[in-house]
Amino acid sequence: MTFPSNSERDCVRAWEAMPWVLQGSATHEQGEWLEGHLAQCEACRREYDQQSRLRLAMSLPSDIPVDANIGLGRLLARLDTPEPQEVRLRSRSGNWLNRALVAVVLLQALGIGALGMKLWSADGSPLYRTLSQEAPPAAPGAIRVVPDTAMTLADWNALLHALRLKVVGGPNDVGAYTVAPTDSASAPRTTLQQLRATRGIRLAEPVISAP
Amino acid sequence: MNDTDIDADAPDRMLLQRMSAGDRVALGVLYRSYHGRLCRFLSRLTRRPDVIEEVINDCFWIAWQKAGTFHGDSRVSTWLMGIAYRCGLKALRQHGDEPVEDDTLPEQRTPAHDLDEDRELRDWLGKGLDRLSADQRTVIELVYGVGHTLDEVAVIMQCPVGTVKARLFHARVKLRNVLPGLAGETPIHRENAP
Repeated sequence: MTFPSNSERDCVRAWEAMPWVLQGSATHEQGEWLEGHLAQCEACRREYDQQSRLRLAMSLPSDIPVDANIGLGRLLARLDTPEPQEVRLRSRSGNWLNRALVAVVLLQALGIGALGMKLWSADGSPLYRTLSQEAPPAAPGAIRVVPDTAMTLADWNALLHALRLKVVGGPNDVGAYTVAPTDSASAPRTTLQQLRATRGIRLAEPVISAP
Repeated sequence: MNDTDIDADAPDRMLLQRMSAGDRVALGVLYRSYHGRLCRFLSRLTRRPDVIEEVINDCFWIAWQKAGTFHGDSRVSTWLMGIAYRCGLKALRQHGDEPVEDDTLPEQRTPAHDLDEDRELRDWLGKGLDRLSADQRTVIELVYGVGHTLDEVAVIMQCPVGTVKARLFHARVKLRNVLPGLAGETPIHRENAP
């Protein structure tokens, strides 16, 4: 690493001081020091001349004609109608990011709405029952039947058909089926007796709803 | 700010105070007082007179609304320039920073009262500024044109002082390499500062 020599360091210092000396915000000491350096450094003197010229050029009035009186008139008219201007400013300030965010929120709202409608229109009954809820009422004339394990499916179907019964539940953990008459005109008591008398039926009891 | 700055800023502060009470005369005085330097400042960002007027009016519309919230943490000129800079950037985003076609520009880009010397100076400056970025032109205008310090430019542009220093440094190097020197001299081509 090489360090600048004293004169180079002075040139760096002069370079940094020039704008502030030119605009008058540098300290008196800074100004005096720069003046002394410029007297002995040709390169910095050239640079300072260019900087002075730059400052002079920058201080020229704008070359774009904009009438202050017309502008002020428009501003005062704008102050008299603040509401629409406020709306205009707000609408102009919304950049693409804001618009995209609004679009995303709207899309989400639409999605949630559509999902809500779908759930609303679907069957609202839950797939579970709490203990405090009443059990669904048993079908009228329902009988709980436990067939023998040796009973064939054909015999079971034939029996149900003969007694005009249909399976409405089961089998449960102990192999019991709940059957109900397909015809409301049939007498449950008679059906029950016929079931008990049938070979291969181990148990037949009427289903009594809980009180 | 030192006491001298505060004293020099007092008339502008008074105008802001009157504006906060709804005094439109004060608004007019401040508007006319800053119109020239805002015009020149904004002309470094865009060449369109309609956009410049729109930005100046946006700036003073905000100043009118917020005059009561000015607590004097900075000079009034720093505060106003900061508002104008932000309004100018917003206008650039809306209108683009491309100048309008030459045939839609006013007939004379150079004021009729310009002396030959001024015209030559403008051309000389234009060649240099064309090579700078908008941020670099802004820093050069604020330092050499308006006379703001590094700290004030940082407040106006809402960036660290180090960033302002870097922009000023690169702008100066570029200008030194691009701009022809004084009459009759050739450009000095050097990559680095001293």
